[in-house]
Parts: sequence; structure tokens; C-alpha cells
Amino acid sequence: MACRILRKQPLKLGHNIIRAQSTMSAFEIQHKTPLIRKTEPIPVALYGGRNAVTMLPGGGIGPELMGYVKEVFKYAGAPVDFEVVEIDEKSEDNDDLDYAITSIKRNGVAIKGNIETKSESANVTSRNVAIRNELDLYVNVLNCKSYPGVPARQSNIDVVIIRQNTEGEYAMLEHESVDGVVESMKVVTKSNSDRVARFAFEYAKKNGRKKITTIHKANIMKLSDGLFLETSKKIAKEYPEIEHNDMIIDNCCMQLVSNPHQFDVMIMTNLYGSIVSNVVCGVIGGAGLLSGKNYGDHYAIFEPGTRNTGTAIAGKNIANPIAMLNASVDMLRHLGHSQHAELIQRAINRTVSEDHIHTPDLGGSAKSTDVVSRIIDHIMQDTRHW
Amino acid sequence: MSFLTRNIPRILVQASARNIHTTVNQNATAVNPAERPDTRVSCTLIPGDGVGPELVYSVQEVFKAAGIPVDFESYFFSEVNPTLSAPLEDVAASIAKNRVCLKGILASPDYSHTGELATLNMKLRNNLDLYANVVHVQSLPGIKSRHKDIDCVIIREQTEGEYSALEHESVKGVVECLKIVTARKSQRIAKFAFDYATKNGRKKVTAVHKANIMKLGDGLFLKSCEQMAKLYPRIEFERMIVDNCTMQMVSNPQQFDVMVTPNLYGNIVDNLASGLVGGAGVVAGASYSADCVVFEPGARHTYSEAVGKNVANPTAMLLCSAKMLRHVNLPVYGQMIRNAVDKVLQDGKVRTKDIGGQSSTQEFTYAVIHNLQMPA
Repeated sequence: MACRILRKQPLKLGHNIIRAQSTMSAFEIQHKTPLIRKTEPIPVALYGGRNAVTMLPGGGIGPELMGYVKEVFKYAGAPVDFEVVEIDEKSEDNDDLDYAITSIKRNGVAIKGNIETKSESANVTSRNVAIRNELDLYVNVLNCKSYPGVPARQSNIDVVIIRQNTEGEYAMLEHESVDGVVESMKVVTKSNSDRVARFAFEYAKKNGRKKITTIHKANIMKLSDGLFLETSKKIAKEYPEIEHNDMIIDNCCMQLVSNPHQFDVMIMTNLYGSIVSNVVCGVIGGAGLLSGKNYGDHYAIFEPGTRNTGTAIAGKNIANPIAMLNASVDMLRHLGHSQHAELIQRAINRTVSEDHIHTPDLGGSAKSTDVVSRIIDHIMQDTRHW
Repeated sequence: MSFLTRNIPRILVQASARNIHTTVNQNATAVNPAERPDTRVSCTLIPGDGVGPELVYSVQEVFKAAGIPVDFESYFFSEVNPTLSAPLEDVAASIAKNRVCLKGILASPDYSHTGELATLNMKLRNNLDLYANVVHVQSLPGIKSRHKDIDCVIIREQTEGEYSALEHESVKGVVECLKIVTARKSQRIAKFAFDYATKNGRKKVTAVHKANIMKLGDGLFLKSCEQMAKLYPRIEFERMIVDNCTMQMVSNPQQFDVMVTPNLYGNIVDNLASGLVGGAGVVAGASYSADCVVFEPGARHTYSEAVGKNVANPTAMLLCSAKMLRHVNLPVYGQMIRNAVDKVLQDGKVRTKDIGGQSSTQEFTYAVIHNLQMPA
């Protein structure tokens, strides 16, 4: 009966019903139950064309390199405002670290030196790893390109190393099951392997690369590395225009020092990535040149390619500023300020390859400040008003 | 002699120009350095109504004297003179291209010729999505006022709220005016305020609201601010009801640091605060979108009764131009103008009528030019 009345009413009192519906519309529901979802991306920090970027100077030579970046940005007129967050490397708690992560979430982009974790206690994790895990920066990209004019074992190298950045051997799961026996877990997941492989193929497609090599040790770790290899093979089928092959890590290292030109884009798990990127950096002239990029779904962090703190040379004015400056160029490109990126990039290339202003790590005798002031000179030549 | 005094700062500026560089126009494709056109800044200029053109002329005189590498693209843009006004699309396109604009105040008549409810100002803001209005209210040296040492920043959402231009007469004698509040825009303005505070080393953000009455609309705004505040643990966050806020503002304005407000409250608080430090002639403001900035005086008065009398105070417009120079990476020039204006106000020999003097706009402008000096 009630049902019938209800069903009849719309016909008779159509007018009323419509009004009732309109007052109970999505508008009202929205306001009575505010739907501010936690996962909603935070609005980007871009105001009047200027981006806000988090700067984590880190330890060792980090602060001085960041000083150079700011100096160069000032002269190049790069529309970026830095929010500097210092992390006290000796502290036992993680307040600074949490603040830094929040800051990156707000700004979306960060430039970072290497952060030291001096604490020996087991519950204080490596802060570099913590940042990557917390922000889910699952992939690290290192574009290894030779600089003409820099003394190196091999010339004309142009290899892109794409590394899984959050799991694998860096899962930080270790325990002593029996006295004297320690087990360390290497975690490989299908979803992360899938994301990395897909990122690599998209990267290759976008940047006109021809070949992708998966680096693994699936002959020994048949399941974990096997999964990584299988996944990348599967993704490769979706990109028939890009050649795909695979290589075992030990062979890969040998090939890299003897015949690096066979490689184009390489993908690998975490620890192999760390090793291979250091090998390639050594082959083309050292830790002071290359910059690395860490990407997640929402955030990006730019840092020098090899993650060394350089505490021994801190404050001596001999650290090579090029790696951090290259990281800043990557950052500008990521933010879409391509013209400023070009401007700084050109100045760096001229300084290193044409003027041969090299710091001691490249066999030169220039101070860090000499390099920076020459870069600024080049920038000024390009941006004069009259 | 006067030639020398005028030109010495200019020569100094040119000599030091190697230290400062402009932001390169990003829309242009990368060009070879050899064939790159000179990297002067171009800036859209809207003189506005009332005394706007006179004030803009003052700015241009100062820019010319200081040799500042800025080219203005000038547009006559006016709602009270629709036949001569440049089309909105052209003006918006110019601002979108240059990414900076210096703008006087546009008069908004109380009636509408066409029956359209949105004013030209609102249309320009909505077209460019200039959502954040920032007014930095600061006590200036040499201006007598009731309070000293006021230094607060009022950040106002200016694309929604009461300014939705949605009004209708549902039944004869009953008019409804819709105030729209959205979570997306509330979060955006809250984040803007906190990012502004972070960037400028400010300590506190105050959200101004009336959520005790408008529980849903202002409630959403307040909730968005609270939610954003969690991301900024090092900045203090407080809430204040708008009526209390206006009282506090006139009795104890020093307590405020950064304030974030919805549209109408912001408009009221802006004008109130401007009155505290010397009136509409001395307070500079700016409106931000993601890509562009429009620099305009903080309190919106056209001062149309003074048109052609040469008595308006160009301080607000000059401070706007100083902010604009800082934004386009010419901070040395910006500082130079700022210092010169401060010096003139401090000396107190040349004052316009609104701050208790007898000098003309022109005399004030010349006094500023005379005090242009390279900052140490």
C-alpha cells in the first residue's frame, strides 16, 4: 500500500517531487559530507609563473653546491623559489626528515644533496632511502653522457640507466634468525617491476631511444630476478618498435668498461643500479659530472648522479659543482622552464668542454668558484639587455 | 648640474646591469644566442579609470629616468567607457603572453548597461584565473597614522564566493544572490597563503571566516584551511571570525601576520587595513594566477574626483612597479624605486594632499626621481 502511494505520488505531485529532488541534489550532499579525499593531489606550488621547490642541501659538500645553484639561478633569472630544509644529520629523531617529506609533498619537486645518517641505532633508517620510500619514488634515471674535453677512459658514451629505486635489496628487512646467521631479504614485486619497465619503454619512446637492455642475475636468483626479467619481457611486447634484450649483471659490468657503446637504455633492480651507475660514472670521468632524477607518480627529486656526500673535500672549494648544476637543469626542464634550462646547460657545456675549466677530480686545478664564475660569465653573455 | 645629478644614477645602473638578468620569455622558442632579441622585459599596462592614467605616467617617468629595461604594452581598458575599451580577449592575451601586468583601478558602475552582472574586473580575473590577491599592508615612514609598525599580508580568494555574479529575482521582491564556495578553490587559496608565508619567512596564518553563521559555505573554506595547515607544521594557524577580525584590525593590528580570506571579507579587510596605514594612495597589491601576475593598488579606489587636478598620490603605483621589477628578476631596480619612495616619504618635504601635504603628483614624481640611487 505504502509502496503504491509512493509510486503514485510522483504522478500527482510531480511538482513537489522535483523540488524535493533538487534540494537533495549533489550540491547538498557535497556540503553536508565534505568530500575532501585524502589521496587528492595537493595543488601545485606555481604562482605567477614561479615554482616553489624544496631544497635539501644534505651533508658534506651539499650546502656549498646548493649555494652555487642559487647563484647561477639568480644570474639566469630562473623563476624558482627555494624552500631550504636542513636535516640535522646527528639527531636521533626524525622531525626534520618528516618536515622535509611534507615540504616535498607540498611543492612536488625537490633538489637534494646526499643526506647522511650518522645514527648507528637500528631503528633510524637511512634518510635517503626513507625519503624515496615515503614519496614512492620508484624509478631513478641517470643519463650518462660523455663530456667532450673531459679526460676519460671511454668517449662518446650515451647510456641511460633506469633503476628500480624502492625495493629489491634495499627493502631493509634483515634479521638474525639463529645466532651467527643473518638473513637479508630482497623483495621484488610484480607491480613495481611493471611500473619500472613501463616507465623505461615510455622514456625510450619519448626520447627516441632504440634499445632497452634488462640487467639481472636470473640465473642465480631465478624467482626474484626472474620475475623482474619476465615482467620487462612482457612489457617489451607492447613496444615492438623498441629492441629489447637482457644481460647478466657481471657480464654487463665487463661490457661497460670494455665496450660501453653497445648500450642504450638499461633497466635493473636497485643494487645493480647503484653499482652500474657508479661504474659508468667512473668510465666517463667521475662522480662530479652526472645528475640523477628520481620519479614517482606525483613527485620528483633531482640530485647528483652518484650518491656521495664528499665529506672529505667539504669546505675546501675543490668540489665539482657540475653534477648539482646538471641536477638543477634537469629540474628546470621538469618544471617546463626549458629556455632557462638550455641557457644554463649551454654555459656548463662551454665551461667544461671548450674552456676546460676543470676541478681536481677531472685532473684540472680550478677551484669550484672558478667553474661557477665562468658559467655565470657565459650566462651573462647570453642575457645582456643591451 | 641637474643633468649630471639626473644621469649619475643612470650611469651607475648601466654599469651594474651586468649583475641583473631578466626572466626570459618562456613562450618563445629557444633561439641561438647570436640571434636572440635583446632580453628586455615586456609588461602589459592598463592605466585604468579615474586618476589611473596620471599615476601610470608617473611610473613611466620614473622608469625612464632610471633606465629600466621594461617595455610597456599599453591598453585602454574601461567599463565606464565601453566604446573605447580594448576587447577583453586582447588584454587577456597580452597578459598571458607577457605574464606580468601593471594595472590601475577599473571603475565598476552600480548599474549595468547590458544587464550582465559580472564586472569587467571580474571577467578579467576569471579569464586569466587570477585567483589570489595579495595586499601587503605596511606602515610607511613619514606617514602619520593611528598605529605604528603594521606589517601584515592579506590574501584574498577573488574568483568565487560572493562575486559569482549569480543573482536572480525568484519571486517579485525577493532577490537571491549565490555565494559559491568550492573545496578546490578554498584549498588552492589556503595553500597559496601558506606557501607565501613559507617563502617570506612569516610565522602565522589567520583564516578569516564567518563559519558560525554560514556553516556550510564558510565552513568548507575553514575546513580547507585547517586541512592545508597540517602540511605546514612550522607555521602557526589561527581562525578568526570576520567581525572580530575587523575590530582587532583597528584596535591591535600588529597581531596579524598573513591573513587568508574569502572574496568579500578580503575586499573589506583590504580597504580597512589600507586605511590604517595611509589610505588608497599608498598600498600596493598583486593578483596571482598560476602563470601571470597583475600588479595593482591594494585598495580599489579610482579617485575620480581628482582627475586632472594633479593631486593624486603615486606611491601605491610606484610600489606596485617595484614589486613587479622584483618579480621579473630585476630586484635591484625594484629596490631602487622602493628606497627612493621611502626616502621621499621619510623626508616629508614633498607630500601629496592625501597624506597631509600640498605637493602635486608631478612634484612627488620628481622628488622620487631625484632620490633614485643604486642600493649599496
